[in-house]
Amino acid sequence: MDLPTQLRLALQSSHYPVPSQTWLTALATSRTPPPPFQSLLATAKARLLAADLTTPGLVDPAHATPLPENISDPNVPERTLTGNVHVQVVDIENLARSRWEQVEELEALERGEGTRGREIIRLPAPGQGDDDDDGVNGGADLGDEAESQGLAAHAQRTASRTTSGGGGGGGGGGSGSNATAPGGKKATHRLVLQDHAGRTAYAIELKRVDRIGVGVTGIGEKMMLRSGTAVARGVVLLEPDNCVVLGGKIDAWQKPWLEGRLKRLREAVENRPSPT
Amino acid sequence: MTRVLCVAEKPSISKAVAGHLAGGNPQTRNTRDQYTKNYCFDFDFGPPWNHCSVTMTAVRGHLTTMEFTEANRDWRYPPPESLFTAPIVTVVPQDKRAIADNISQQSRYADLLIIWTDCDREGENIGKEIVDASKKGNRGMRVKRAKFSNIERSHILSAARNLVDLDDRQADAVDTRIELDLRIGYAFTRFLTNTLRPLGGPLLDMMLSYGSCQFPTLGFVVDRYFRVKNFVPEPFWSIQVTHTRENKKVRFSWDRNRLFDRLSVTVLFERCLRAKTAKVTKVQEKPTRKFKPLPLTTVELQKAATRLLRMNGQHAMKVAEELYNKGFISYPRTETDRFSKDINLQRSVQKQTQSEAWGQYAQSLLDGAFSQPRQGRHDDKAHPPIHPVTFASPSVLSHDERRLYEYVVRRFLACCSEDAKGLSTNIDLLYGDETFHAHGLVVLETNYLDVFIYEKWSDTAELPKFTQGETFEPTEAMMTEGKTSAPGYLTEADLIALMDINGIGTDATMAEHIQKIQDRQYVALTDQAGQQAQAHEDDDSDEDAVPPARGGRGRGGRGGGSSASRSGGARGRLKVFIPTKLGVALIVGFDRMEFETSLGKPFLRREMEAQMKAICEGRTTKSAVLQQNLRQYRHVFSHTQENITTLKMACREFVFS
Repeated sequence: MDLPTQLRLALQSSHYPVPSQTWLTALATSRTPPPPFQSLLATAKARLLAADLTTPGLVDPAHATPLPENISDPNVPERTLTGNVHVQVVDIENLARSRWEQVEELEALERGEGTRGREIIRLPAPGQGDDDDDGVNGGADLGDEAESQGLAAHAQRTASRTTSGGGGGGGGGGSGSNATAPGGKKATHRLVLQDHAGRTAYAIELKRVDRIGVGVTGIGEKMMLRSGTAVARGVVLLEPDNCVVLGGKIDAWQKPWLEGRLKRLREAVENRPSPT
Repeated sequence: MTRVLCVAEKPSISKAVAGHLAGGNPQTRNTRDQYTKNYCFDFDFGPPWNHCSVTMTAVRGHLTTMEFTEANRDWRYPPPESLFTAPIVTVVPQDKRAIADNISQQSRYADLLIIWTDCDREGENIGKEIVDASKKGNRGMRVKRAKFSNIERSHILSAARNLVDLDDRQADAVDTRIELDLRIGYAFTRFLTNTLRPLGGPLLDMMLSYGSCQFPTLGFVVDRYFRVKNFVPEPFWSIQVTHTRENKKVRFSWDRNRLFDRLSVTVLFERCLRAKTAKVTKVQEKPTRKFKPLPLTTVELQKAATRLLRMNGQHAMKVAEELYNKGFISYPRTETDRFSKDINLQRSVQKQTQSEAWGQYAQSLLDGAFSQPRQGRHDDKAHPPIHPVTFASPSVLSHDERRLYEYVVRRFLACCSEDAKGLSTNIDLLYGDETFHAHGLVVLETNYLDVFIYEKWSDTAELPKFTQGETFEPTEAMMTEGKTSAPGYLTEADLIALMDINGIGTDATMAEHIQKIQDRQYVALTDQAGQQAQAHEDDDSDEDAVPPARGGRGRGGRGGGSSASRSGGARGRLKVFIPTKLGVALIVGFDRMEFETSLGKPFLRREMEAQMKAICEGRTTKSAVLQQNLRQYRHVFSHTQENITTLKMACREFVFS
């Protein structure tokens, strides 16, 4: 078996998208003598994860299932994917948190409040709006920006301080527990996914997938949606069982996404027709 | 016979202590200070002093102040930054001369000086001042200190027979703080006032003071103000499932609570509907309890007073001090939220049995319901938690004293009670792929809640019977819509809590700082406006829950005590802090200067408080702390000078707009 084929099979078996023959051959012959197989495979994986799947000549269309053509049709109540589909993450959002809450948090970091000297330890937000008790602002949802961990830690400390403080107590309780995992246990993320043909679709977590999170999931990160994955009214329904997270990110996408996040959130909040 | 001079921190304490030690009416002599008396009597201090002839007198708080010399009195020259290094003198102010003279005179005849100031840092420092004054009359005198935390007779007698030494470190910490506050406060205040007054308008004759506690405190108010002002409401959607069984309507809440996207919720909701039936995945019944409160600290007392009694923090501290001076409660400045083992709690409970309102409850504790209080994690090693020392009949107390005393007593009795107990039921439901839960509570024993009328814990409707594994078709499933609402402005309780977590001020001084920023017209206390009241109605539950409980049972319990502040009850009348234009300008101005450490933020002060503690624990020294802080603040000062245009612009933007 020649080297390109060997690589293709190895990639396939670890759920990676299958690159074109040209791409594989180019990789296999780039150095003579070729490096050991395992390191060549590692290189192939790393390059695939960092590449844009829509790049012409990267993915072998013969070995790849695209998203269905009319996937975003809201009139189709439910259908399933007929093959394994490789996609990359174009956008991610946590639907469990208000955008404004996230704006406030990013602005606080921008003002430098994540750093010593400028921080304020705030009181846990008293459940903004409705009667839920998840006071702590969802805490640790920023992930990537290192400082935010500090903020979240504060938020938790604050929460425990104030609840132990007596002088009231109040019926409910049950706060703070959702601020643990990077994405938060109670988070529900919505992603925009793109296949190798450039078609995009919304996806939400029908069940929590631990590796998905704002700041955890890279922009350009690769996933494989298993055959049989449900799509309801144009929205792919993610579960740990049908969503294989491969990792990676596209640097050229990640940076502008991060930098533009605050602006996008702001716009999303402010341009919304006022709720009734 | 050994001659002893005793000096207390205030006349009321010297009178009470003298009364206990003398065992009757001591001989009383006037001094040249109209408030201060000298009491003469004999007392047996036990070994090694034994039978002594005693003169007991008092100071009135600090005996001395630090100030700059004549050369630095002018606000214009030399420039304010010179105040970081200018000489400082310690002087006895005019109104304290007579007291200081009395002490040095009395010490001439004494062999031993016993300090009876309050047992905290400030008291230790005042103790040092007394020692200094007495040395002027008698250099060779021995010095001891009495350690006490209330003025109940047996406690005082035991303190007199177990004398300790003054703690120089604590006195040093206070000296350090006073000197830093003086230098930093004066330098910045003069600089700000000199620079901003020329902008004219309302600033023309204002005193623009800076204080290292004031500014972060103001910062909290401004921070919250902008959060409220900038807030943008957003719609969210949720799924609610209700099921009627045995004529009881059960509401199941969605585990995802709510999502900020309509399409996503629609998709998930449709899947529920398509599933038709829901399955009960878990039914759990378990005993639950509502914890009784922790023993009372100063910070908690202030929070409770502002929230439940509608007193401001500073006033509450004054009232508490009065109650302490009269011997009704223990020392009200304490961080300790655990009772030490050797304190006889049952005896304190016993004293409350004569009350008409809670006497019966106290008796029930003695009859077997007593339970050891919870142990908090804070111990300042100086004072026990605030608790009643003797019973005070309502007739001897003023209106506010009565209310605060009632809180202290009820809290104490609650601490000595059992937790409230109940039975909770949790039901988990799987409907399509979505999970829901319902929670039921049956209160079995109210226990401490019977006396602690400020809290309530009520049955939620008892749940009908559900069995694990059963499936049913929910009576109703709905997709609901709501929107987020802005947080409220800061209440005084919020502000105290923020200062506490951020380390601004000590529990004893917080209320003063809050008063100061009001006096300086940096913030104003206003009624929570109607729009806010509405936005507020569903935020944190403890404030919500309280007024009705108090209005109903509190009144009954005490035989119709009523007051203006009581009649409101509703959240809408809550007092909140809003910054003035000037307050906003100052904080925004400093924030925009982009320092590493902004003066409007708590960091520098928090560090300073930590260093005070370090001095007390012997981990650092007065001079090291002075040096480091002055260097730091001087750095900020020169930075402020360089960027003063930023501050001026902020003033123009906010004050003159």
